[in-house]
Amino acid sequence: MNISQKAVKIGIVAIGALLLLFFLFQFLTKPTPHSPPPPKGIVSEKPTGGNFTLTSINGQQSLSNFKDKLVLLYFGYTYCPDICPTDLGNLAMAYRGLNDQEKEQVQILFVTVDPERDTVNRMAEYTGYFDADMVGLTGTNAEIATVAKQYGVVYMKANNPLNSHSSAENYTVDHSAFTYIIDATGQLQTQLPHAMPPQQIQNTIQTYLTQDKAS
Amino acid sequence: MTPRSNPLATALTLGLLTAISSTQLLAAEIQPHADAIQVSDPYTREMPPGALATASFMTLSNTSDQNIKLVQADTNAAKSAELHTHTNDNGVMRMRQVSSFDIPAKGQTKLQPGGNHIMLISPNQTIKTGNTVSVTLTFEDGSSKKVTMPVKSVMNMGKNEDHSHHHH
Repeated sequence: MNISQKAVKIGIVAIGALLLLFFLFQFLTKPTPHSPPPPKGIVSEKPTGGNFTLTSINGQQSLSNFKDKLVLLYFGYTYCPDICPTDLGNLAMAYRGLNDQEKEQVQILFVTVDPERDTVNRMAEYTGYFDADMVGLTGTNAEIATVAKQYGVVYMKANNPLNSHSSAENYTVDHSAFTYIIDATGQLQTQLPHAMPPQQIQNTIQTYLTQDKAS
Repeated sequence: MTPRSNPLATALTLGLLTAISSTQLLAAEIQPHADAIQVSDPYTREMPPGALATASFMTLSNTSDQNIKLVQADTNAAKSAELHTHTNDNGVMRMRQVSSFDIPAKGQTKLQPGGNHIMLISPNQTIKTGNTVSVTLTFEDGSSKKVTMPVKSVMNMGKNEDHSHHHH
């Protein structure tokens, strides 16, 4: 028993050593590539941002209507099972952590990337849930595509045979999950990554509000 | 085998037999996977109005020395429950169904927003804060475990995280 265990151990060590030598040899003899090819840019490098007009439950809304406010712009869809509730929940928490004076200077906009299902009423009901004075915006496919392009947002219906629940009416949408920060002059300032915690979002908001005051 | 056979061969054969029988013995003693998995901080997310699906999250801790696979989730709360993951492809979040979640030996797998989760599709009941949801987890060996969890709103999760040091 002891002898056999020892033999097995020695065997394993020997195989391990051989493997190590093999890989070391491969590594040493193969010239390392200079640098990996750059990742395929599916998100445009520098989105320009800019004004747009879409439809809310109260009619046409343009980004320029929110001039003098810091705008937090998020793209998603109301059937979104996880990503959008996470980010919108965090944005809502950050907003609700602001004092009344700060809230006056901040506006959260939620633009759908699923205009076929997201009517103005759905958008209003959904944004209302987050209780953060959010405005939900929808439009035609072409209008949404234009705004998405301005902000470098990528979205497409998920195409995956494993998504057994996907059908004509019941599908998911892959989409960029950044939050775009637009200053009081309408300039796109920065984008926040998916799942940034509420406190960090709140700090970022407050930094931009202070900067706006100082300038 | 003759008594005159090569002593090394005999030793190897005996060793092999011992190894096989002890593996079988171990296998017989191994606890069901469900017993080796501890579930902590499970919750299901409250659904915004009109949503079609929501997700259950939890931390799965594997107390055993072997890797364990979670292969299925079932619930009475929704028409179906599926194992899903997200990949972040240059900022584009892609959600996909997967066939299993691996829980490494002596390790943890977290089901959390933006990553692995159990997706509850077409809920049968209103999934609202104050309700509880039960999900049965089935592992590769067929053993299963029922997890009953609270429903939490996205807006309260940050607050709950502040208290994550509390023991449950």
